Amino acid sequence: MSVRAVVLSVAALLVAGAVGVGATLLVRGAGPGAEQVPDPASAARTAFPGLTAPTGDPELPGLATARPRPGTVAVVEGPFDDRLDLSGLRLAGNGVTGTVTVTSDVSELIELQVLAGFYDADGKLLGTGRFTHHAGEEDHGHTGPPSEEESFEVAVPDDLGGTVAAAAVGVPVLVNE
Amino acid sequence: MRTSTRRGASRRVMAAAAVALAVVAGSVVTTATAIAQPDHSRAKNVIYLVGDGMGRTHVDAARQRYYGAAGKLVMETLPTVGQVTTYAVQKTSGQPGEADFVPEYVTDSASSATAWSSGVKTYNAALGVDAKGEVVPTLMELAKKAGYRTGNVSTAEITDATPAGQMSHALARGCQGPTYSAAACQDLAVTGEALPTDDVRVTPIADQIARNGTADVVLGGGLARFDAADEEALAAQGYEVLGSPADQAVATRDDLDDADGRKVFGLFNRGNLTIEKFKRENPNAVQAAEPSVAEMTSKAIDLLRNNKKGFYLQVEGALIDKRSHANDAAQTLEEMKAFDEAVRVALNFAKKDGNTTVIVTADHECAGFNIIGKGSYTNAEAVTPPGNVDAGNTANNSAPSRAASGALDGTRSTGPVNGSGSGNSGNFAPATFATPDDPEGVEDGSPEASLWLTYLSGNHTGAAVPVFAYGPGTRDLADTVDNTDLFDVVGHALRVVR
Repeated sequence: MSVRAVVLSVAALLVAGAVGVGATLLVRGAGPGAEQVPDPASAARTAFPGLTAPTGDPELPGLATARPRPGTVAVVEGPFDDRLDLSGLRLAGNGVTGTVTVTSDVSELIELQVLAGFYDADGKLLGTGRFTHHAGEEDHGHTGPPSEEESFEVAVPDDLGGTVAAAAVGVPVLVNE
Repeated sequence: MRTSTRRGASRRVMAAAAVALAVVAGSVVTTATAIAQPDHSRAKNVIYLVGDGMGRTHVDAARQRYYGAAGKLVMETLPTVGQVTTYAVQKTSGQPGEADFVPEYVTDSASSATAWSSGVKTYNAALGVDAKGEVVPTLMELAKKAGYRTGNVSTAEITDATPAGQMSHALARGCQGPTYSAAACQDLAVTGEALPTDDVRVTPIADQIARNGTADVVLGGGLARFDAADEEALAAQGYEVLGSPADQAVATRDDLDDADGRKVFGLFNRGNLTIEKFKRENPNAVQAAEPSVAEMTSKAIDLLRNNKKGFYLQVEGALIDKRSHANDAAQTLEEMKAFDEAVRVALNFAKKDGNTTVIVTADHECAGFNIIGKGSYTNAEAVTPPGNVDAGNTANNSAPSRAASGALDGTRSTGPVNGSGSGNSGNFAPATFATPDDPEGVEDGSPEASLWLTYLSGNHTGAAVPVFAYGPGTRDLADTVDNTDLFDVVGHALRVVR
């Protein structure tokens, strides 16, 4: 082997070695966390094609078909009926009142919505109103003990005054921890 | 001579070449050695277990109840032990150190879940958003994006704060579904005006979970939050759906046993799962077909483990908190035991696997759970708080001064609440439990039982919570850390954060 050939071989080896070390460093990264770290900006999925955006608060289909007799308050089906009782339902002059008793585990009542439908003497649905309990309002945060009962009152909408003869209620929203 | 010189030069060149080769070879060997050395901060898998509401005293009481004073829960056998601060911040607050930082000393489960899931402080009720309402990515999303398989197990509704903190972004934890409502989903105090209803931050959490694919394995409760459209969306992503959201048919333990999909979605109750005490006492009840948190953990590991990159699994024992809110010590203790059995499953897997990190912690303490001396009583049972007068050294007195001691008030305390005083719903007296240290025949609820437990309130407290850890990347947890630091510990162990 000529001296020139040996020198060239050594140089080639050194270059190869350096490239190898460099490549290794690239693969390993410059420090902890540099290996295949995903881009946080694109990690969260924030759009759901095909999911129809809601246009308002939830409705209960049963309100459209309920035919409460005059002077009565009917109960219509909701998604959480197996974890609550409705009691003391009463149609007074200005609206419908009652009590929701949550029968499942209650460490905090976070959300509750009572939806009421108001009907004329023929059982025709005239309009609706809502009662909403939202944790953090009305001292419903962590300032008091857990409570399983929530009294509600849903006022008759102003434009229905004098024509309401019956009501129906249901619970479309319930979140209890 | 010349030849000799040339030979000498040649030898020097050859020698230099040999040295150079040695250097290069050495570099290669060094590099190879560096590659071969295990990275002790890097885990292939991370199993993160949360005892919701589990304060230090929950651990102490469960240990004494089931293993006696000298025993240990499984979680207490993990070699690294520390404590975690849990405070939240108020709405629109900045992060710690920023000028507009406003702390809230007692956290809820949502704020705490966001802290370890996304590494930011946020307000109570927020999930996957910071205190100004900006979306922040979660560890489970980052892990998924990096190629890990992911799982989320809870004994609560899967839309509840702790599991939802890893796989949703919501201004308000109450926006769970199945339907949107403005009151439950919007928060004008944070955003100023109502967000469009297609914004993820006001999209019901159930809708998000059913469509974002963040967790490959989803096991828990809360079927009532999901509907037919959600089932369709899950099936379209390749999930094996146990039971049926469309039919509101809950999954069962048998369904779970038979599951073998790469993606599995199984909810075993329309609401939260059923407490273990009820299932134990009613083995023929329909609720007894619900799997335990340990069974779900075991199955989740089986479903996730076959992945070259590894997996990230979160497990929540949710009912510790829920029964602590109710001040029901008997149920709380059984939920602690059930959660500890899930820790056993995780730890056994980690020991066998050799490259799995297990972290056991809590989101906050609940109810000021405490252990008092046998035969003693709490302030809540007393006429007044303890006296605060030291006549011998007035320097020990402070304001207010109380000359009378806090004697037991017979109208507020009629004995152990789960024993002789159980007929009085207004009774503040302790719950008592027999332990392995007691003589045979001592019964729960009796004054003779040695473990006397009390509660401060029915709500969360601001106490720090314990953390127990095993495996790579957990050394930093042998300290007092903040709950946002858990994001960094897990993120670095999985190499998903810088």
